[in-house]
Amino acid sequence: MAIPISQYNTDVKNSWCMGCGNYAIHIAMKKALSELDIVPNQTFISFDIGCNGNGADKIKVNAFKGLHGRSIPLAIGSHLANRRMTVIATIGDGGCLHEGLNHLIHAIRSNYDITILIHNNQNFALTTGQATATTKEGKRMYALPDGRPEREINIGELVLGSKPSFFARGYSGDPLQLTEIIKEGIKHKGCSVIEILQVCTTYNKESTPQWFTERIEKLESPALDLNNARDAVSMDEKIKTGIIYKNDSIPTFYDRLQNRKDLSTELVDEVKQYDISKLLKKFK
Amino acid sequence: MSNGRVIIKFGGESGQGINTLGKILSKSVKESGFFNFAYREYPSLIRGGVASYQIDIAKEEIGSSSRYCDILLILHKVAVHEYLPSVSQNGIVIHDKDELILTQEEKEYITKNNITLVSLDTIKMALEVKGIEIMANMVLLGFIWKLLNLDTKPLEEIVRKTFEYKDVDMEAEIRCIMAGYNSKQIKEEIVKPLTFKPQKQWKDSLSITGNEAIALGAISAGCRAFYAYPMTPATSILKFLGDTYKETGILVKQAENEITAAQLVMGSMNIGTRAMTATSGGGFDLMAETVSCAGISETPMVIVMAQRTGAGTGVPTWTGAGDISLAVHGGHGEFSRCVISISNPQDAYILIQKAFNISEIYQMPVILLTEKQIAESIFNTKNLPKAIKIERGISKGKNRYEITDNGISPRWIPSKDNPTYLQNSDEHKPSGESTENSKEIIEMSDKRLRKLETLKQELPEPEYFGSKNPDTVFIGYGSVGNTIRDILKENPNIGYLHYQYIYPLKYEKIIEIHEEGARVVLIENNQTGEFGKLIKQECGFEISEKILKYDGRPLFVEDILDFLNN
Repeated sequence: MAIPISQYNTDVKNSWCMGCGNYAIHIAMKKALSELDIVPNQTFISFDIGCNGNGADKIKVNAFKGLHGRSIPLAIGSHLANRRMTVIATIGDGGCLHEGLNHLIHAIRSNYDITILIHNNQNFALTTGQATATTKEGKRMYALPDGRPEREINIGELVLGSKPSFFARGYSGDPLQLTEIIKEGIKHKGCSVIEILQVCTTYNKESTPQWFTERIEKLESPALDLNNARDAVSMDEKIKTGIIYKNDSIPTFYDRLQNRKDLSTELVDEVKQYDISKLLKKFK
Repeated sequence: MSNGRVIIKFGGESGQGINTLGKILSKSVKESGFFNFAYREYPSLIRGGVASYQIDIAKEEIGSSSRYCDILLILHKVAVHEYLPSVSQNGIVIHDKDELILTQEEKEYITKNNITLVSLDTIKMALEVKGIEIMANMVLLGFIWKLLNLDTKPLEEIVRKTFEYKDVDMEAEIRCIMAGYNSKQIKEEIVKPLTFKPQKQWKDSLSITGNEAIALGAISAGCRAFYAYPMTPATSILKFLGDTYKETGILVKQAENEITAAQLVMGSMNIGTRAMTATSGGGFDLMAETVSCAGISETPMVIVMAQRTGAGTGVPTWTGAGDISLAVHGGHGEFSRCVISISNPQDAYILIQKAFNISEIYQMPVILLTEKQIAESIFNTKNLPKAIKIERGISKGKNRYEITDNGISPRWIPSKDNPTYLQNSDEHKPSGESTENSKEIIEMSDKRLRKLETLKQELPEPEYFGSKNPDTVFIGYGSVGNTIRDILKENPNIGYLHYQYIYPLKYEKIIEIHEEGARVVLIENNQTGEFGKLIKQECGFEISEKILKYDGRPLFVEDILDFLNN
């Protein structure tokens, strides 16, 4: 029996624009938790600053709305202290690829058992539409009357370059598929990175639902290896969604800690006074 | 001999093993029953540059160094010009077989102060007893040991312990020590036997640095995660907690940068364990945004800030206390925080535990200040004090950010048995929901600031040391306090008011002392008197007389004596 989705609701009203992709992403996140029977008080979600972050008080879980670009390390700190919590970090393409890019690379490399949802609407929407690293080259944007002078980053290529244990791509216009992807991400033991292509009706007029529908192609099954996965993340013609790459053989960061191997407790269970008399012998 | 101390200094090039020599000598002297304080100077490079280790041996407990030494051992000619001026009257300079190339001024200094030069071909001596070149250092150790006229047993024991797990020819090392000890060049006029008796209490004492004591205090306090990025002089906390992680079970993680380290601490403490990070000023700059976030979201957080000299990269391996303003003011917006300063291993051990209690009870960032001088010097200290009780301030309530009279809202640990809550860096309502409402902003901001006043009432007064009727009272904190406390006995007319709790500041005692008519002198290891500025900011009182030192060196005993004599 799944937990009723209403249990994750708060009575705070949504504040996103009409047609914003965040509605579907928000529901997909709740639906994934509900279908996996993960109760609200055993869930921790860190929120970034940006339109995604404005969902922080609209979901009833243990949540922390922190700083711009920092939702990933904030989530990792929570995960390492209590692995009984299902930990999700939500972040936008701006916060993730600009302010906090190093966190993404190191989270993948360390393979912490968390799920990272990157909301990619190809702009800084909350600050009214500046270019991000995923904004198309040459596109006219806020304070760029002659168009964006730099090339864009393909999140899939970036993530695969760091040899992830899980990478998937979903789309805000397909919340059912997205729900399944988030569920797989949560279930995967390791750092699950999920890029969510997100419609932004206010500041990204080109990437409309129609534009996405024409290009999106669902991937039947994950790529067999990183090379095939690299082909799958290309956005040159078609855009592939689904679980793109998965590798269950990479151990998580925590599982590699020799000193935590035989312990059944979590760090949150261990706050008490410790006797240091044995350690003091080192100083005699 | 200065202030009844016998002082030995090694000077040479970084990479010559001076650190090991200093540690062995300090530990062996302690093992022989003599109290000593060991101070290290080294450049920010691995090979080359001048490095030194100074060991002040004293009859009673001390926590500071003298500007002068009685025996200077030159391991490399680069150290001659740097340290010759620090040799005291009737002192001895021991150098290798090559003749020292001295300036006219240096020659005059030697004659004027009756300094004896001893040339010792330590490499030859090492080779003669079938040692290898690097064991020349052991010959030197043996030579000093004879100058102090001490029994070789404790020295041999410490050397064996130090190299236990190293790939060395232990017997050759010992032969080299004995070669130095039995050298024909030891003559009566250069022997400097200790005039005081060995004491069991010093033999049994700990030989420990300030950073190690902070780490031990954190372990005692139930800190279960340590996240840090290497930065001198905080790094040895990472080393100790990393090296002991199997014994303690603590999760030790070297983060990709200081921002991450701070975020990991905030995340781990929010979810209900105890975690901390340690850095220096530059790393703290990167953490400042997170400190501010912990401030508004009322998340407990503990940061050790180990100070060094200078802005930018500054003089990275040298001491200073120029980050008081950063600790008190760093981070945007207005929020409550606590800043604590340590002086020695004893108070480091206790104050880091207090830092955890305060950060959890008051739900605010706590910054524990130390300095390179405290962080890396070796103190001999009697057993550490008894650990203090862990207080976490965990309570249940309706709203996570309930408006309360003392400013402290209920905080509970997220778990399957507890209701969820939103920890919010947006301004928020008592429920945690974001708000931009004028009344709600004021109410929540006022609540948060009330915690500072509540905490201030709870904090102890600064501690006063010295004369009951002083002519002069020094005001200080951190390592300068060690230097002043070391000279109080011989200077019966002075007093010292020592601050451990820097912020919120209890300033009333300063005003009291001033009104009673004593001359008040601020003493700080920085350029502009940062603590003095804080005092003025808090109560309007300006301390006009100041001893300020900002050359990367700690306050030496003579720095204060010179001030008093002028």
